[in-house]
Amino acid sequence: MNIEKLRSHFPWFTLIVLGGLVSVINTGFLRPESLLQMASDVSALFVMALGITLVIYIGGIDLSSQSVANMTTVLVTVALPVYGIWTACVVILVGGFIGAASGVASTKLKVPSFIATLALGGVALSIGAYISKQQSVSMDSEMRQQNFSWIYGATARVPNEILIAFALFLLLLFLERRTTFGRTLKAIGAGELAAVASGLRVSRYKTAAYAISGMLAAAAGVIFAARLAGGGPNVAEGFLLPAIVAVLIGGTPLTGGVGGVLNTMIGTMIVAVIRTGMVYLDLPAQSQQFFFGLMLIIAIALTMDRSKLSTVK
Amino acid sequence: MLEFRKVEKTFPGVHALKSIDFRVDHGEIIGLVGENGAGKSTLMKVLYGAYQHDGGEILINDRPIRFSSPREAMISGIGMVFQEQSLIPNLSVMENIFLGFEAQFVRFGVINWKMMAEAARRQLEKVHLQIDPKIVTSKLSFAQRQMVELAKVLTLEERVDGDLVILLDEPTSVLSKDETKLLFKLIRELSSRASFIFVSHRLEEVIEISDRIYVMKDGEMVATVNSKEVQVEQIQQKMVGRAISLEYYREDKQKPHSCEVLLELQSLSDSAHYQDISFQLRRGEVLSLVGVEGCGGEEIMRTVFGLGRSHSGKFFVKGQEVTGLNAGQAVACGMGYIPRERKIEGIVDGMSVYENMTLSQMGKYSTAGVLKIKAEKEIAKKWIDRLDIKTPSVNANAGKLSGGNQQKIVISKWRSGGSDIILLDHPTRGVDIGAKENIYEVIREMCADGCGVLLMADTLEEAIGLSHTIIVLKDGCMQHSFACAPGSKPEPYDLVHHMT
Repeated sequence: MNIEKLRSHFPWFTLIVLGGLVSVINTGFLRPESLLQMASDVSALFVMALGITLVIYIGGIDLSSQSVANMTTVLVTVALPVYGIWTACVVILVGGFIGAASGVASTKLKVPSFIATLALGGVALSIGAYISKQQSVSMDSEMRQQNFSWIYGATARVPNEILIAFALFLLLLFLERRTTFGRTLKAIGAGELAAVASGLRVSRYKTAAYAISGMLAAAAGVIFAARLAGGGPNVAEGFLLPAIVAVLIGGTPLTGGVGGVLNTMIGTMIVAVIRTGMVYLDLPAQSQQFFFGLMLIIAIALTMDRSKLSTVK
Repeated sequence: MLEFRKVEKTFPGVHALKSIDFRVDHGEIIGLVGENGAGKSTLMKVLYGAYQHDGGEILINDRPIRFSSPREAMISGIGMVFQEQSLIPNLSVMENIFLGFEAQFVRFGVINWKMMAEAARRQLEKVHLQIDPKIVTSKLSFAQRQMVELAKVLTLEERVDGDLVILLDEPTSVLSKDETKLLFKLIRELSSRASFIFVSHRLEEVIEISDRIYVMKDGEMVATVNSKEVQVEQIQQKMVGRAISLEYYREDKQKPHSCEVLLELQSLSDSAHYQDISFQLRRGEVLSLVGVEGCGGEEIMRTVFGLGRSHSGKFFVKGQEVTGLNAGQAVACGMGYIPRERKIEGIVDGMSVYENMTLSQMGKYSTAGVLKIKAEKEIAKKWIDRLDIKTPSVNANAGKLSGGNQQKIVISKWRSGGSDIILLDHPTRGVDIGAKENIYEVIREMCADGCGVLLMADTLEEAIGLSHTIIVLKDGCMQHSFACAPGSKPEPYDLVHHMT
């Protein structure tokens, strides 16, 4: 076994070791109820991370997801009386539009993706702040009941948001592995110049990846809003870092081309286990970002294929 | 003073330097010539420390030496003047001259700029360049930058105890006749202080400036000649070397091409690399663009495939005029591009053999965007058999295969999709002999199937052996066109004559 082969098994291994440790700390951890609770707590995060995965898969990065989710919680609450059952669709399209704008900025205007998404994230954040007038907004409980119980309710004692996240995961897994779209994204991530020289319309596919990432960030925002019965310009604060950690620790490196949404599922589970473990250990919630910050550096250092990089800036 | 004894250098799959003997004496000007890929640049890189030799020995003043970096070579008195200039454009001339060796001007941790400017002025005097050393390098002309580059290398004089050897890689390729004269005058003047190794494709110039000329071919030193008693043609013959074997290029399979025109260029120009290019490529024809490095052939090919832009002239594909073509449209027109940078533009490292093969034609193996992976694998198996591709399976990572097998995958990527205008940019570069013959066979088959092939060959023999028509380019202009029917093929030095 060489190091290259071991590297791809790293995420599984980490998950099992961490899960084992946490179940030693608290034997209640492996009970179905607590596992379901944990899963429903990370569903929105997972949906956001799925979107970021696509962008990292093509060698970019999406820093706008959290801001798009913030904006969406406001939009979905404000738009609910107008669009009713269609509200979710409308706001997800808005998220897709912001993502597509990042994509155009990165492909046509040649703005590096981290700047393009940071900038459009700022735009999204302002839209949310402006519409909500910096206040938290809340839904009419009857309307919420009518239009969003499919999100916050439960089916056969499984919270619906888990089912939604899982359905989105399956859809993306199919896109990634079975369609020309997924194959093209892989080619872009692994060898963009070869993809161009093969006549693939690389810019369009890249823009599409950013747009889907924006849509999934908005979907995460819809889940938040439905759960919290409202929104605010900052309710998704603190989600960006764990979402990126989930992608990278799952085994999709920043250079792109390998990994994918299955890896992100494992990565999200790792994040969830760590969070739960911290709760069991009575560590304060504020210290989470501290650990995720450190983990991000470690995950990148471990997963980076340095042969692909000439210089790091 | 500097001597190579049986120096060897091997890269995976390529024996780049074979038992090289090479000597430079004090104050000598040495010419080094050879075709593209003969091993000149590898030899230079070993000499200035960018590569390390893996056999034989390098001696300076009879002491064996080994450079692990260019800096070590510099400290031992080996300076390199690069073809692609190594000056950093946004730094001043003096900062460039002393880049990496600023310590001599540092007092209490601060650079004394006055002192540096003074020292830089002294260096610039050596090359008779009257410019302000504080000027930003990007403001200089190309020829001036070349001189600064030389001045930078000459700083070694003060730093090195022993003798100096200066490598000049194609120093005249962008200079005018007058500038070249000035450079030569300078080199002669400086040869009292340093020895020079002069690498160039321009043989007249090499004969004019050098005392002795080394000729390389296929990684070997095939001749050393005294430039007083040699003609350009004699060197050309030595560069080209052995007689070509007819079977090797499958000349017996070269069939006359049809009259149907696939590609037509009418006085196509871009602003920088080529001017007034006109030719027709017909079904069943192999048309070669031949010339030295930088002759414009690669850019013409990239323009044809929609990866570059032309600024004037007309361009027809299968009778239709096209403008503003992009690569996606080129593929849709039936073009396939096999790039020189196989590892970067040809193969996607990290994708499997079958994924690479269908990459350009995924539409054919999918319905409504959903891939038919089974069909993909079947077509891949077919082409693996047909081109004898050595791979553990269709699922193996194409990036891990040998150069020859990768090249066959790139070829099958286009052939399996039915492309009939094939652009081959150095298809046999870095490929071993057996795989080369396979590739020649495939090119013949493509022609028999009615493809037109636009080729930039790795060697002149290859161009002559494979082509129906050869167009010789020099500095982006068409010099001459040769018809190459079997039995009446031109000789390599007929071509070299027009190239240099």
